[in-house]
Amino acid sequence: MVETKSQEKKTMGEKTFTKALGFIGAQAMDSNPINVDVKDGKIVRLRPLHYDWKYQPEQFNPWKVEGRGGSTFEPKMQAVLGPLTLAYKKRVYSPNRILYPLKRVDFDPKGNRNLQNRGKSGYVRISWDEALDIITSEIKRIIKKYGPYAILEQGDGHGETKTVHAAHGCQRKLLRLLGGYTEQTRNPDSWEGWYWGAKHVWGMEPVGQGKQTNIIPDVAQNCEMILYWGCDSETTSWGWAGQTASRLMYWFSELGIKSIFICPDLNYSAAVHADKWIPILPNTDAALQFAIAYVWITEEIYDKKYIETHTIGFEKIRDYVLGKEDGIPKTPKWAEPLTGVPARIIKALARDWASKPTSICHGNGGGMIRGGYSTEPARMEIVLLGMQGLGKPGISQLKLIEWCLFGDFTYMGLPKSLVVPDLLLAGRPEEPEAAHHGFTFWDLPKQILPKDLIADAILNPPLEWYGTTLLAEPRENQFKKYTYPVPGCSKIHMIWTDSPCWITCWNGGNRLIEALQGPEIEFFLAQQPWLENDCLFADLVLPVSTKFEEKDIAADGVGGQFNTLIYEQKCIEPLGESKSDWEIVCMVAERLGLLKEYTGGKSEDDCIKFGFEHSNVAPFISFEEWKEKGYYVIPTDPDWAKEKPGYRDFYEDPEKHPLKTPTGKLEFYSETLAKHFPDDQERPPYPKWIPYGESHQESLLCERSKKYPLLVVSNHPRWGVHANHQDVTWFREIKTCKIRGADGYQYNTVWIHPTDAAERGIKDGDIVKVFNERGGVLCGAMVTERIMPGVISTDHGSKYDPIVPGELDRGGAINTIVPHKLTSKNSAGMATCGFLAEVERVNLDELRSKYPEAFSRPFHPFAGTGVESFLYGGKE
Amino acid sequence: MGKVMVIDVAKCNGCYNCQIVCKDEHVGNDWTPIAKPQPDTGQFWTKVEEIIRGSVPKVKMAYMHSICQHCDDAPCIKACSAKAIYKRDDGMVIIDPTKCQGHRNCIDACPYPNVIYFNWDLNIAQKCSGCAHLLDRGWKDTRCSEACPTGAYTFGEEEDLKELIAKAEVLRPELKTNPRVFYLNIPKRFVAGAVYDPEADECLAEVTITLTDSKSGKKLTAKTDIYGDFWFEGLGVGSYSVGIEKSGYLSQKKEGISTEKDINIGDIPLYKKV
Repeated sequence: MVETKSQEKKTMGEKTFTKALGFIGAQAMDSNPINVDVKDGKIVRLRPLHYDWKYQPEQFNPWKVEGRGGSTFEPKMQAVLGPLTLAYKKRVYSPNRILYPLKRVDFDPKGNRNLQNRGKSGYVRISWDEALDIITSEIKRIIKKYGPYAILEQGDGHGETKTVHAAHGCQRKLLRLLGGYTEQTRNPDSWEGWYWGAKHVWGMEPVGQGKQTNIIPDVAQNCEMILYWGCDSETTSWGWAGQTASRLMYWFSELGIKSIFICPDLNYSAAVHADKWIPILPNTDAALQFAIAYVWITEEIYDKKYIETHTIGFEKIRDYVLGKEDGIPKTPKWAEPLTGVPARIIKALARDWASKPTSICHGNGGGMIRGGYSTEPARMEIVLLGMQGLGKPGISQLKLIEWCLFGDFTYMGLPKSLVVPDLLLAGRPEEPEAAHHGFTFWDLPKQILPKDLIADAILNPPLEWYGTTLLAEPRENQFKKYTYPVPGCSKIHMIWTDSPCWITCWNGGNRLIEALQGPEIEFFLAQQPWLENDCLFADLVLPVSTKFEEKDIAADGVGGQFNTLIYEQKCIEPLGESKSDWEIVCMVAERLGLLKEYTGGKSEDDCIKFGFEHSNVAPFISFEEWKEKGYYVIPTDPDWAKEKPGYRDFYEDPEKHPLKTPTGKLEFYSETLAKHFPDDQERPPYPKWIPYGESHQESLLCERSKKYPLLVVSNHPRWGVHANHQDVTWFREIKTCKIRGADGYQYNTVWIHPTDAAERGIKDGDIVKVFNERGGVLCGAMVTERIMPGVISTDHGSKYDPIVPGELDRGGAINTIVPHKLTSKNSAGMATCGFLAEVERVNLDELRSKYPEAFSRPFHPFAGTGVESFLYGGKE
Repeated sequence: MGKVMVIDVAKCNGCYNCQIVCKDEHVGNDWTPIAKPQPDTGQFWTKVEEIIRGSVPKVKMAYMHSICQHCDDAPCIKACSAKAIYKRDDGMVIIDPTKCQGHRNCIDACPYPNVIYFNWDLNIAQKCSGCAHLLDRGWKDTRCSEACPTGAYTFGEEEDLKELIAKAEVLRPELKTNPRVFYLNIPKRFVAGAVYDPEADECLAEVTITLTDSKSGKKLTAKTDIYGDFWFEGLGVGSYSVGIEKSGYLSQKKEGISTEKDINIGDIPLYKKV
């Protein structure tokens, strides 16, 4: 394609394509549009897409948001990307790409399977023929022996977002054709506390976060202070929507809005935006919240009228806070030792907050709603917002990520477009055919397993829990009990996964390893572009291509600036023998004689055309013109400002605009929780301070803390999206990503305060072990003032490199030692942040002599472990 | 006349886009005669330098940037014994990879750290080329300035950016290299702290803080906010004393505060006069 608009005259034999490169990975929700320049079959560069490359700006009606004092904010005429997108060439050409099918060397489906060696065995190359033989015979054998529900479809999330060649869940439809399957339902990892807790207060569907409609102009005009609470919008936003969040945070500061960051670490947003950093011990936010409520109640600086007209159950909160219920007044002095925040600061914060319109900001990636009992701080936050009049000008819960989540304008805080590009539209139960071939939230089979319960299901069935845990479920679903196995269904004996993210991303990684090394799962089939993490336990690993090697269609709908629909041409030939996830399932279907039924007779091009026609974009542009231009920018809705911001409607007239709660009000006390779980001490009908209990003992108040005296905060990673991007050499050169040990290995970075480091004889750059009774991981120590004393910080998602699988990991995969139990007894979320551990220096020479095999495993000096590291007999 | 780069440190969020996209452009891509490929790792034609300032809880980050200054009086051009380095009409300084003989005089001559690197495989010196090969195609931006989300990197014509340049500074002006890279808001030093009343267990607002430069005697004053916090920014390296006064309280003074590094002088208790 030759440039037509700008002065970029000569293209020097380069062809330019368009792609979207967001990393939600599922539900065809993409973002981060790019131009890909290719020459001689090789990617030359990735650049931000310039929206005005093929269109005049007037054609898409660029928006403008007004703040106080006449200041305005406008989108850029190009995508505002982060490094995770711009460095992605390194993932395409990574030495960790799987180029041909791999089989565990000691897995013989006709003889000895050696399941106990999963994670230890090396891999050998096999042909696609042999791989398909094994897959089809195993599927048939397992269905014959146990029935179809014995197969767990583990359609996961994150990674590349694709539509026709969907990266997650293509096997679902095939398994349905074979008579059924067990579906992994993916618990709402980004929203745990809000989903299981906050939803019961304000009924916000589906994930429990606040209504965002037009919230940015409201903040810009009326808000005077933003509390960024356990939130890092600089970081988490990169994979989901680029850096619009960063631009907004700078604008808020220019407008004079005070920015206070409440988090254990000086995270990347706090580092450049904070007017004040209030360090707080991980997972103690609820104590701070109750103490703030204490100041407001005793000094009478909250909105009493609003409480009467808009809320239910305030008396319970008041009595609990004042100590009338348990004899313990939740004073700032009470909260001080629990949180590490001085009482005087708590008082000042409470008064500051009450004196001005204050909003709370979240970016989803911090640990605040992902610890044990996270329902409590998540819903107490809504109580506090309610006490100051949620919905009043400048008072809201704000998020700078997931713009227009699920194609829902309620989640769009910036000016919305006329339509949302939607590739799931067709594909809903009423109209099941869709361009998107991955998993959806409907059409669930009889038997499901939440992702955070899979280890328990394998090791310790039967199970019962509440809620499917799918993020699309309404609040009432949390009262429905589910069991495993379902009568008439087998337990699972086979797992079919695609680009999984378990061990290093989810709860209790080491416990999952224990489960996989047992006899229950007879066949573990994985398909992924890179040999990493959970694949190291698979019996068969199939090579998947990246989206640069495939043709597809992308709905760029969560980026925040403009929504686009992208025609994603194939840029380069697939590497090695790799195929797309959809193509792989097609090959299996063909072997089973079900190809026509599986594809519905549709080709890749047919699917792309179908997607276009049902995407909401067809009325605006012809299919041919869209393909020729490569993308379409959906115009801004000229009436975007008409809808009132956030909860303004509710604030102004709660009777006319009720919330989706049973009473229509903010339910500080939830009747439905009281009715369904009358004896639940871990998620009572109204929020409480629950530092530990039956499910978790991760508090400094617990006996365990004598042995494991540090609290770990583990955020969504800076240098990757969950388990992705670990092999990007250009990130690994950066200290906050990896630290090189004396042995040449790049260790995952852990932040430790100078006083804690000195106590343990740890110097900056030392290699250390972070551990508790669940296991240990090696890390590189960054001794820094960016973390409060008593806390260490290490991002999750680091690439697993077992020294002893299930016990000790060289790669720094912290999720191997996080708690495995759920958020709380009846809240089936995961708790992966705010847990106890200790750190000690390690002697690498000693480790090398103790574990010679692991320490002589080859690794790329700059990209880390790769395929070669796990091939049987070393390099092929 | 010619191109300039203006780097505003106050707008840099530390995303490393600049450092990354420079590698995207120059690793594995051959732009002879402007530049040959740089190695995958180890060279940083634009490099982010992290500056961590202060101590818990008064901590900030700033991100400085090392990059070829494309000097109008470039020491590297004079030092090159192979006459391989030249300045273009648009101001960009290029090390011609076809002429470089690997003498490395330029590396010794350049006064700016982390600018010129030596590629031992190709036996040539390498550095930022101002993306000249893209400028010649008609690009208005370099890769780094295009990727920068916040406007920390602004690349353009000198005349168009003269207002920004007037407010900016150059690095090592005393060397008279006449750089074409201009910096805004390079952080100086801060002195910060907080004042509280330990008897009442309250932060003290409206406390008058007087900062005196021990050498010059110059005074700056500020008042603490609702958290008792005060920050003096933009200070030079030196020695200071801090006076802390609030009516009704016994005054305090802290002497010998060194701003060799940014400093948080901690939480200062004030006691009521009896």
